Amino acid sequence: MKNRLKVLRAEQDWSQADLAERLNVSRQTVNAIETGKYDPSLPLAFRIAELFEKRIEEIFIPDKEN
Amino acid sequence: MNKFTQRLTGKSVAIITAATWVLVYLLARWLLDNHQLQEGLRVVVALSPIVPFAFFLVLVLANIRQMDEFHRKVHLEALAIAYPLAMLLLMLLGLLELVIPLAPEDWSYRHVWQFLPLLYFIGLAFTWRRYL
Repeated sequence: MKNRLKVLRAEQDWSQADLAERLNVSRQTVNAIETGKYDPSLPLAFRIAELFEKRIEEIFIPDKEN
Repeated sequence: MNKFTQRLTGKSVAIITAATWVLVYLLARWLLDNHQLQEGLRVVVALSPIVPFAFFLVLVLANIRQMDEFHRKVHLEALAIAYPLAMLLLMLLGLLELVIPLAPEDWSYRHVWQFLPLLYFIGLAFTWRRYL
C-alpha cells in the first residue's frame, strides 16, 4: 500500500520523530510506514488521518491488485 | 504506560535482571559441577534459575506490552524465524547423537539452550533488514 505520509509530514515541517511522538509510536514505525514497508493497523491509520485532518483514503492508497 | 511498567522497562532493570539470571545459572553450574551436595539440595540448586528467569519473563512481557504495533510485529517475525531454527538445531543434535557418539561434556541440552538467544537475534537481524 502506498501513502502520502511523507508529503503530509513535510507540509507540517515535522521530523519523523515529531510525527512519531504525536502518534505515540517509534520513529522506526513512522519510517517503515513512509517507505511502504509496513502497513499500519486500522486504529493507527485512523489516528494518522485524525492528526492530519484527512480521510484515510486521502492518505493511504491501496495497490492496484488489491 | 503506568509507573510500574515504566520501572520494569527501564534499561538498568533489564541489565540487572539479565545479569542476575546469568549469575544464578553460573553459580548453579559451579555448585553442581564442583560440590558434592545432597540429592535434594542438588535439585533445589538445579531449579534455582527459575526465580530470576520468572522475573526476566515479567520484564520481557512488560517490554512487549509497551512496544508499538510495528515493533511487536518485528519481534513476532524474529520469533517465527528463531523457533523453527531452534527445532532444527535440536532435531539435528538428536539425529547426530544416533550417528556420532557425542560426549555429554561437549554437547548436551545445557549447551544447546545458550544458542537459542543467538537464534532469536539472527531472526531479529533478518526482520530489521526487511523493514528498515
